[in-house]
Amino acid sequence: MSSDHQSSENVSARPAVQIDGVTKSFGNTPALEPCWMKIKRGEFLTLLGPSGCGKTTLLNLIAGFLEADNGELFLGEDLVTQVPPHKREIGIVFQNYALFPHKTVAQNVEYGLRTRGVPKEESRARVKEALSLVKLENFADRKPRQMSGGQQQRVALARALVIRPRVLLLDEPFSALDRNLRVSMQIELKEIQTKLGLTTIFVTHDQNEALSMSDRIAVMSRGRVRHVGSPQEIYEHPKDLFVATFVGDTNLFRARIESSEGRTRLDIGGRKVEISSEQKEPRDLPSAVIVAARPEQCSLTSVESPDAIPATVAVVVYQGSYVELYLECEAAVHGRIMMRDVSKSFFHIGDKVGIRLATKGLNIFGSEQEIG
Amino acid sequence: MWWSVDLFVVKTMSKRPFLGLFASPATLVAISIVAALLAIFQYSLRAYVPGSLRPGGFTIENFAVLWKPMFRKAFLTTFLLCFWTALLTLLAGFPLAYAMVRSKSSLVRGGILITSLTPMFLGEVIRTYSWMIVLGKQGIINVCLLRLGVISEPISLMFTTTGVVIALVHFTLPIVIIMIAAALSHIDWNLEKAAASLGAGRVRIFFTVTLPLATPGLVAATSTAFSWTFSAFATPQMIGGGKVQTISTLVYQVGFSSFNMPLAASLSLAGLLFTIAVLTLFNVGMRKIEKLGDC
Repeated sequence: MSSDHQSSENVSARPAVQIDGVTKSFGNTPALEPCWMKIKRGEFLTLLGPSGCGKTTLLNLIAGFLEADNGELFLGEDLVTQVPPHKREIGIVFQNYALFPHKTVAQNVEYGLRTRGVPKEESRARVKEALSLVKLENFADRKPRQMSGGQQQRVALARALVIRPRVLLLDEPFSALDRNLRVSMQIELKEIQTKLGLTTIFVTHDQNEALSMSDRIAVMSRGRVRHVGSPQEIYEHPKDLFVATFVGDTNLFRARIESSEGRTRLDIGGRKVEISSEQKEPRDLPSAVIVAARPEQCSLTSVESPDAIPATVAVVVYQGSYVELYLECEAAVHGRIMMRDVSKSFFHIGDKVGIRLATKGLNIFGSEQEIG
Repeated sequence: MWWSVDLFVVKTMSKRPFLGLFASPATLVAISIVAALLAIFQYSLRAYVPGSLRPGGFTIENFAVLWKPMFRKAFLTTFLLCFWTALLTLLAGFPLAYAMVRSKSSLVRGGILITSLTPMFLGEVIRTYSWMIVLGKQGIINVCLLRLGVISEPISLMFTTTGVVIALVHFTLPIVIIMIAAALSHIDWNLEKAAASLGAGRVRIFFTVTLPLATPGLVAATSTAFSWTFSAFATPQMIGGGKVQTISTLVYQVGFSSFNMPLAASLSLAGLLFTIAVLTLFNVGMRKIEKLGDC
């Protein structure tokens, strides 16, 4: 998202994909605000956001199915802003796989080689290789409809990989699979991607998928890229409240910042909470703020503790390795707090408890920001 | 394949609780049609008694009469009319249906829908009458071509096979457009996007993805066009004016001018079998072609 994009003479330093101020609107509705992004060779980048955030628009722009209103798009060394999709050498796996129903698995995979005029023998060998990569050597003569969702997914992947694309685009490829299959497909895809060193752009609205698979994540909302960073950066140091709430579980507290004698304290519901100095400069923030704390940054303590935020147990959900507690808390933005109690101590609905926040790693935002 | 879809519908419907209730009107219709067919069948095997509307005893003479040159010619004419109409309707209907389904402009979509559908609301007679005005010696086509100097004398379109085909194409177009549009709209756009991403240009996408997937719909539309044309009566009767004899016009002539009901019945029956035979051959042939395309 840096705007310090290089001049176009500096060709050798081009990343696999470079998006320079690309915009797109449909009629009067902007679908993508000016967007700058660089994707390194072999990188797995995820576009994460709720539906309508512009992630699919961006994917379609990269694939060439949509034409950018402004800006430039580079694939490697080539400027492709005006290049039609069939000349971009991009592999795509669609959400519904989009396998040709009238062709066999082998013919589906072969399609991209035939359009390129690859000789028969080489083509046969490459199809075989691609199918063995996705462990479907023995299914070459099946029709797509005779295969399970997971198998169709692999065929779609093989079809996209066999052309040795410059970039692999994945449009929510796992959303139609059941949970167990999804996890094993994710691992398999990640393995293949790493093995081939393939630059991959992955579109999803599922934050768990994004966190577990990506080298970097670009969180998007309302046509804007909010934050680009590693999963850890996104989770631990979200740039704004939207990112903090969209990625991972977050508890939000209304608070006031008080600075005295060089120390900064938060006033949450009348209780004073010390925060460490590594936090953002408090003077950059208004005095009314929102504190975002992950469930693991909250711990339970006695309601009498002076630094604990008072709350009442509302719901107890047994989850096996831990107990999920939903607490009613006046200082919380939504009136509710979620915590994981690993010790599985017995709490009952109606118990008065205190919440103690971790002193490090809390994220503090201005209170006017959008919540995801 | 569309025939397996039909089977699927039947299978799932057998589990529906109101099937009997919903199927009863269909049963009534089916019974009436079967009864009418049986009546025609038994008429076709009875002797013609000149001067009487009541048929005589059992005979197969009527079917032997059908081999006469006049009737053989009518079969050939009908086949050619149906063939050309089906072919031209398909060629004219496909681009229109494609534009109707794929156009981004709602004006284009709506325009095609309205102009292609409104003729359906006029009866066949009214539409044919309009075509008589257009096709006649003083009609729009001739006047325009004469004024433009393309022709020096009016060309005859009335009372010719060409004229009948033109009017029949217009008669058949709406149903064909609707059927092809339905087939096209079921094709997933992502398939074409996938083909494009794999390096296929527009022409290749059309011939390797769109057309093969639309084929079942095209076969159904062509079959329908063929049988619609076969059953058309007012158009060949009014524009052909007796010069273009089809099976329908002959049935009318034999049955209601000569009052030879048994012969009219046997001619109708022969026509029905003829259509079934042609459409079966067509479908089997298309299936073979589709199989060829698979490998």
